[in-house]
Amino acid sequence: MTKEQTAIEAFNVSRSFGGVHALTGASLTARFGEVQALVGENGAGKSTLIKILGGVARPDSGTIKVRGEDVALSGPSAARALKIGTVFQELTLFPWLTVAENLFIGTEPRGRTRLIRRRLLAARAQDVFDQFAVRGIDPRELAGSLTLAQRQMVEVTSAFLHDPEILLLDEPTSALAEHDVAWLFALVRALRDRDGCVIFTSHRWAEVSSLADRITILRNGTDVATRSQLDESEAVTLMTGRTIDRLYPDRPATPRGTEVMLEAERLEGPRLRGVSFSLHRGEIVGIAGLAGQGQRELFMSLFGVNRVSRGEIRVRGVARRLKGPADAIRLGLAISFVPEDRKTEGLMLGMSVRDNLTLAVLARISRGGVIRRSREVAVATGVIDRLQIRTRNSAFQEVGELSGGNQQKVLIGRWLLIEPDILLLFDITRGVDIATKHDIYKLLAQLAEDGKAVLFYSSETEEIAKLCHRVLVIREGRIAAELAGEAADAESIVAAAIRDRHS
Amino acid sequence: MSASGAVGGWEQPPTKRWKQSLVQGSPVLLALLILVTLMVLYIVLFDAQLGRLPGLFEWTSVVNTGLPTALVAVGQSIVVLTRGIDLSVGGIVDVSNAFAATHIHAGAGSMLGWTLVILLYGAGAGAINGALIAYARLQPILVTLATLSIWQGVALEVLPQPGGTIPTTYTNLLANPNRPWGLVAIGAVALLWFVFRRTSLGVNVYAIGNDEYAARAHGIPVRRVKVATYALSGLLAAAGGLFLAASTTGGDPTEGNTFVLTSIAAVVLGGVSFQGGRGSALGALAGAFILTILVNVLFFANVNPLYQPFFQGLFLVIAVLLGSLLGRIIRRSSA
Amino acid sequence: MTRFGSTASERFARLGDGITPDRLRIVAAFGAAILIFGVGAFLHHGFASVASIEAILTVASFVGLVAAGQTFVILVGGIDLSMPWVLNAAAVLLATSSLGHNDRAIPAILLALGLGLTVGLVNGVAIAYFAVPAVVMTLAMNGIMEGLTLGVSKGLTCASCGSYAPLAIQNVYHTKVVGIPTDLLLWLGVTLLVGFVLSMTTFGRKIYATGNNPLASYLSGVRVRGVTVALYMLSGMFAALAGIALVAYGGQPSLGLGDPYLFQSIAAAVIGGVSILGGRGHYFGAAAGAITLVALITLLEAENMPEYGRSIVYGVTILAILLLFGRKEKAA
Repeated sequence: MTKEQTAIEAFNVSRSFGGVHALTGASLTARFGEVQALVGENGAGKSTLIKILGGVARPDSGTIKVRGEDVALSGPSAARALKIGTVFQELTLFPWLTVAENLFIGTEPRGRTRLIRRRLLAARAQDVFDQFAVRGIDPRELAGSLTLAQRQMVEVTSAFLHDPEILLLDEPTSALAEHDVAWLFALVRALRDRDGCVIFTSHRWAEVSSLADRITILRNGTDVATRSQLDESEAVTLMTGRTIDRLYPDRPATPRGTEVMLEAERLEGPRLRGVSFSLHRGEIVGIAGLAGQGQRELFMSLFGVNRVSRGEIRVRGVARRLKGPADAIRLGLAISFVPEDRKTEGLMLGMSVRDNLTLAVLARISRGGVIRRSREVAVATGVIDRLQIRTRNSAFQEVGELSGGNQQKVLIGRWLLIEPDILLLFDITRGVDIATKHDIYKLLAQLAEDGKAVLFYSSETEEIAKLCHRVLVIREGRIAAELAGEAADAESIVAAAIRDRHS
Repeated sequence: MSASGAVGGWEQPPTKRWKQSLVQGSPVLLALLILVTLMVLYIVLFDAQLGRLPGLFEWTSVVNTGLPTALVAVGQSIVVLTRGIDLSVGGIVDVSNAFAATHIHAGAGSMLGWTLVILLYGAGAGAINGALIAYARLQPILVTLATLSIWQGVALEVLPQPGGTIPTTYTNLLANPNRPWGLVAIGAVALLWFVFRRTSLGVNVYAIGNDEYAARAHGIPVRRVKVATYALSGLLAAAGGLFLAASTTGGDPTEGNTFVLTSIAAVVLGGVSFQGGRGSALGALAGAFILTILVNVLFFANVNPLYQPFFQGLFLVIAVLLGSLLGRIIRRSSA
Repeated sequence: MTRFGSTASERFARLGDGITPDRLRIVAAFGAAILIFGVGAFLHHGFASVASIEAILTVASFVGLVAAGQTFVILVGGIDLSMPWVLNAAAVLLATSSLGHNDRAIPAILLALGLGLTVGLVNGVAIAYFAVPAVVMTLAMNGIMEGLTLGVSKGLTCASCGSYAPLAIQNVYHTKVVGIPTDLLLWLGVTLLVGFVLSMTTFGRKIYATGNNPLASYLSGVRVRGVTVALYMLSGMFAALAGIALVAYGGQPSLGLGDPYLFQSIAAAVIGGVSILGGRGHYFGAAAGAITLVALITLLEAENMPEYGRSIVYGVTILAILLLFGRKEKAA
């Protein structure tokens, strides 16, 4: 590989899945010695393009060239033979195999009998981790017991292990903490400096601008621009066709003296060691902290999924024992979160849009257990209009056929229909593109103005700082600090999250 | 209790490493423990009834009776590891049994030749299953249900009534009533399993069972591997049919049905998960012999033979509950 | 963006609203039944006569009743392998508890149905709350019921085991209302009821949701475990109902009464478009599948095909139907 030479190219590539056009005539050129970022809204086709370049999917039409020669990649092995390495968005670790087994799958060390020498796997894996400065992961652990960030790091290490000259990364930082991101960027820059070629996708503009030499924008399945310099608002305009002046809306006024909607008192349970807080009407309270400190468990406990071993939850002043989501929904709570693996989006992909929307409010659209069609249609149509969900025929169109953005709207629509008073929003902007994030922020502000009480967790500290009235920093299962108003800026939140506990 | 376990989502492996080794190895250990317990029980009850300990003849009989089930169970476990299921094993056992009883005559050529033909048939029948499942993308339970029916029909055509003969030499080779040569077969299977785990095919089987999509993304030839697993299952089922013919010295074209259910029970007892990707065929091997000795235990405990299925079913449920309870205790203490 | 491909039948079906691929499958299943009747009539005069059709439909009703229960559990991704001996146990229970007396008919029926419900409850709880795989639990339960039935009835040689079903119940299979046999009207009623539950009730909606995505359903307030238990109870109840029906038809219970119905009920559901993975399909399809299956078997018997041949044709037919309609969705 030599710098400036074309490494991998896509010409006029198209690909559809069951009637949905993921890519329509997209083209891309990437050179050796450069890092190129692929940006676009959810559903613009980034992942599909990466899959095609990585040999996992085949284009319906168009050509792929590697090092100037036409290729038809028959599968990931063919790509690997051409020194193309890929880290996909959907993690491909095998949960019940050890980390070492995962790392060396397909390339295990063999003995003279051509049989795999399993005893060597762990030691070799440790060597690899030392080589790539990966700390804190035991090669003998089962991959499924690693945290999401650790899994992503193993995937990245695995890709680098095969010494790729062309590296494709699809959302490689979505689960990583800041110092892990730095680790990854160091590896990427080192590859680039060795004249390797890197193509990556990301929704985080800070990463894109700091790492990328060139940026290609995809919109609606085709490439719309390639620039070597681009600022965020221009990128958003190119990605969406709209202009967004400010990412974050004005925070609604801090409510004073309003009703206490939700209270937790000394909650104890899995990963929770005594959490107390209160949430008022019209308030957006943020939960911040490093990953794995109990945020997910807190939300799950408040929604009745996790059992609380000690402590009390009070909804509108009344102590409640929540035995499951059904109880929580009945009391006016709604939860929205992105499942860890993103594979189950919370939707019933094989059922119609209308059925998906009304699932949580069946009691309201039925009488005596029998569904009243007219009510169902009315209720569903209302939400479809309000959220502008684009669907051909909501009665029959399967949700699985909608675009990603519309699918997300259906999910939001489902919990809007519950008309909840209390919203538990857990990391809902993970993996979401800038334009949709902006829509979500606006929705959030609107909900607070309408008098809802919102508990909000995000892995991006800046979001919490900009959107919330108060921020509760959680550490080791307890609320370690509470910040409000001016004091709740991103730096202070992070400081509170990592500060050693005073005795 | 979290929702994901009971609603069929992925369970999370425990975090501490010694616990992980325990979780990984415990199903086989549990199966062996149950097996040993039952063996002890058998010895005690046998002695109580007959005033002596079970001798070479009795143990040999246990081995010979359990071996066909054991072979079928090992094949079934390989398929289950890929998240599949093979109901057609019953039919393949029937055809093998029927062909053996009608075609194998005394003489090394006939015995060896027909053995090879029948084993080849088993592998072929399995490969057909595998092709329909992997290439035509049909559901395993439905395909093997249909082929079960087909092979049962074929078996009836070859041998309409129980009968036929097996030359004594063949019986003495495979299912000698006086010498436990069957242990050699068990040892061979265990050795082959050890080798299997260290081949690409073995690793691929586990990978596919863990996550088929991820396996494909790693370049594993998923379809070919699946065909291979069903072919292995068919091969082992045919072998089971041959051992069955040898030990019963005759043919029965309808015995096969019980093998479908007992092989699944053996796989479960052996701790192989139906979700795929976890477990060991050695566990299924132990499970098969657990079921065999259980019958003996019930007999010598003077349990009314009519009630036998009741106790077998109950035993299966308790064993499964025990296994999952154990798993949950291990996981809970690491949370 | 979706990861699913569409088969030819799906693209064809999008002609107009209301014609979904699932509904097309149901129509196809009925079409297959009619086709077999047509072929049969061509080969054997009288195959499609009223009497012959009634006879076939009656036999199909037994498969249909078992298939109703099976459909319910398959829709949530489960399966019920305990139906054969729940059926048998209920049949024996009906005869031995009523001892042929008409005044004991109703209590006997309730008792038999209660047995089915209880077995279903145990199955459901083990599967939903203790994470025992459905294949294993129902398989074990089948053995348990077999042992109990054989043991308690002493191999069907006990004192009361020679009883007949009460005449009142038997007569259901020998009377007609408006020219249609009562047992078929009963099956029609069951079909309409089950169809109604699946299509028009909140319970039905929860069934489909659970089958499609149990975790998302749970988080949307569906009591997934409760639904699962209820479905296995229904499955047990329908197995018992089929047992009652068979004893009413035949007069006396026998051993092994339920064995053929297990695989037939699964096949009927599959023919009718019920996906074995759950979340898709409707009982109307399974009912049509039952008719198709029994018509096929009857046709083969009429052709004097020996048992082994029937077995082979049966298996090949299932494969053919699977190849035509049963393809899994393609991964991306």
